[in-house]
Amino acid sequence: MLPQVLEAIEEGESAIVFTNTRSQTEIWYQAILAARPDWAGTIALHHGSLDRARREWVENGLREGRLRCVIATSSLDLGVDFSPVDRVLQVGSPKGVARLLQRAGRSGHRPGAVSRVTCVPTNALELLEVAAARDGVEQAAIESRLPMERPLDVLAQHVVTVALGGGFRASELLDEVRSTRAYAELQDDEWEWVLAFLTNGGDALRAYPEYSRIALVDGRYVVDKKEIARRHRMSIGTIVGDAQITVQYLRGTMLGTVEESFIARLKHGDRFVFAGTPLEFVRVRDMKAWVRRAPNTKGAIPRWQGSRLPLSRMLAELLRRRLGEAGEGTYRGAEMEALRPLLEVQRRWSHIPLPDELLIERVKTREGWHLFVYPFEGRLVHEGLAALCAYRLSRLAPITFSMASNDYGFELLSASEPPIERALDEGLFNPHGLLEDINAALNATEMAKRQFRELARVAGLVFPGFPRSGKTARQLQMSSGLFFDVLRRYDPANLLLTQASREVLERQLESTRLGITLQRLSVSTIAMTTPKRPTPLAFPLVVDRNRDKVSSESLADRVRRMQLALEKAAGSVDGEQSPRSGSAQTARRKREKGATT
Amino acid sequence: MVVASVAGEELQLLPERAAFWTRERTLLVADPHFGKAAAFRAGGVPVPRGTTTENLRRLDAALRRTAARRIVFLGDFLHAREGRAPETLRVLNQWRATRANIDMLLVRGNHDARAGDPPTELAIRCETGPITESPFVFAHHPTTSSDGYVLCGHIHPGVRLHGAGRQFEHLPCFWFGPETAVLPAFGEFTGLAGVDVREGDRVWVVAGDEVIDVTTRG
Repeated sequence: MLPQVLEAIEEGESAIVFTNTRSQTEIWYQAILAARPDWAGTIALHHGSLDRARREWVENGLREGRLRCVIATSSLDLGVDFSPVDRVLQVGSPKGVARLLQRAGRSGHRPGAVSRVTCVPTNALELLEVAAARDGVEQAAIESRLPMERPLDVLAQHVVTVALGGGFRASELLDEVRSTRAYAELQDDEWEWVLAFLTNGGDALRAYPEYSRIALVDGRYVVDKKEIARRHRMSIGTIVGDAQITVQYLRGTMLGTVEESFIARLKHGDRFVFAGTPLEFVRVRDMKAWVRRAPNTKGAIPRWQGSRLPLSRMLAELLRRRLGEAGEGTYRGAEMEALRPLLEVQRRWSHIPLPDELLIERVKTREGWHLFVYPFEGRLVHEGLAALCAYRLSRLAPITFSMASNDYGFELLSASEPPIERALDEGLFNPHGLLEDINAALNATEMAKRQFRELARVAGLVFPGFPRSGKTARQLQMSSGLFFDVLRRYDPANLLLTQASREVLERQLESTRLGITLQRLSVSTIAMTTPKRPTPLAFPLVVDRNRDKVSSESLADRVRRMQLALEKAAGSVDGEQSPRSGSAQTARRKREKGATT
Repeated sequence: MVVASVAGEELQLLPERAAFWTRERTLLVADPHFGKAAAFRAGGVPVPRGTTTENLRRLDAALRRTAARRIVFLGDFLHAREGRAPETLRVLNQWRATRANIDMLLVRGNHDARAGDPPTELAIRCETGPITESPFVFAHHPTTSSDGYVLCGHIHPGVRLHGAGRQFEHLPCFWFGPETAVLPAFGEFTGLAGVDVREGDRVWVVAGDEVIDVTTRG
């Protein structure tokens, strides 16, 4: 797609190329610069991990018309007025109609001017999403946003912040907190719990005398421990990523931050590309990665963990309609024409579902039995559906599923044949009992644990590394996964655990949307096919390595069928390691389970 | 009963994450990290209570199962100086008082160096390793020794297992090499470090109530 993108940039005075991830901006920046070396100095990139000074320089450049092209993530979505921009390109699916319009609006930002956006699909199926988004724009079908409901982790952090800034009286702060939209419904016992959580770690019965983050002094809550104050100041914020490490030139200029796990894999002299610049890694010191400029060579590009945006409900529905048309042999518009050969393969090997059908594909491969289900409802709903279906299937027979989900559907993979016919007969998609079953399925998966990762960081349970934190702080470092396990076992009533489950249900799995989806699926016609190999729709699921599991077999039974992984990949990250080598072990820092993920 | 035969001796591998040297009736326990939760609480992190009690319950289960007359701790008995909380030490003392007939030895580990030796009331003899008790050498850090086969801890070893249908598990393990064996971390509240198993090594994982040999053959 590069030549077309270059052409589109050349057509206008000034362009923004939006991508969906920070890594993508780095990749496109390199590719564009390699194709048009004479553009050096007039193109730039912009994403949230770049140093603020760099970002401001780019924003000013756009405003003043100095830059021909900026490659950006959602960091440039909002708020800024760049009047000279007359072209906007969206690389990859916009995932939602509102988002596409928002980005389009960055161009022609003048009264009377027309905003235009050009979509650049990065795989064939994204054509479908572009076609659906086009329908959405034409029909002005724009998504609304759901506000947050009383997140206690954020409240806990805010309370410590206020305590640190001069202290507060409980009733006054409660009134103020309740005056906000998110906490208008805050219950008395939830407020009491947050105060208790911060003063003695739990409720009165389970108080930890050696623990306190805030203390009541003369009727006001304050932070009375220096170390707590210091640590809190350094971990304020609600955007949670992996531990970040600053990238800085030896001569002093800061470039931005990358995830520690990326730097951990680099050796002295390794090359990587960041902030659009080829760099050579020198060393890590004082929680900073020191680098120098490298000659123009190819190198690894850092990856950042970010939430992948799911397909919006609106776009999902428009997409099902477009697919249904194709199922009946109608291909409307350039996008659908381009997609036609692929969809014809899908039809020949299996089936293209009509709007009132649910397509299920059963495929047997060397890996085991794959069950592909395509509700076309967006990844989050599919994660919930996958867990629910796996749980309901596993109640019929001892079986273990590994699950993958994307915006189109989900896959359940098992070593033995799943009892799908029986499950369908007994109401696999029955909305009745949804809440109980989904709660049970949640406990069986790692979903709540992953959600807890964010809560734990915001509520101040786990900390990122700090500069010069030394040994004492390191002994307080623990992965949120380990924390989750300990809480679930020893303090199951902890409200942060409850919040993690609630957030998974409401926000992540969109339980109301899940219920609506089940209503639709339970009255859909099941179209079950048994293709010889994974179909075009199935393929992206097959290669997804990001998997969760649900099992009704005992751990020991499963382990007896497993094999030790003697992969070299794991060893090379951990370094030389063997019970034979003594001194290497001493130097190695122990890593806790999940600490780097 | 799961038994590893090394250096002409029999070691029972227990699901309580400890090993038992049958001939000497000695229980081997690596990395209990007592007081880790208390150290976190002292640092302002509200880790719930109960981990020390759970550790001791498991230690008792191992003692009952084996009728051991001695425990050798292979380092990191206490987690941190801040973890020497009165409540944690009181629970430990109480436990020790009713098991006075059991001899206890600690081979100091890196955490012990900062946390300090266990209080004298606990009657645990402390030594800086390695300690030779032929044919074994007790140590905290993995090492090799001309004096015998090394039994040690420190790493908190864990392995990844893979199965059909893309299943996998990450579990604590006993890791036996030609000259050294690393025991799993005993502590309730400790993480795992993935280890790089080589050909010829033997590995047993702790899967719930069972210890399972997962050594690949061939």
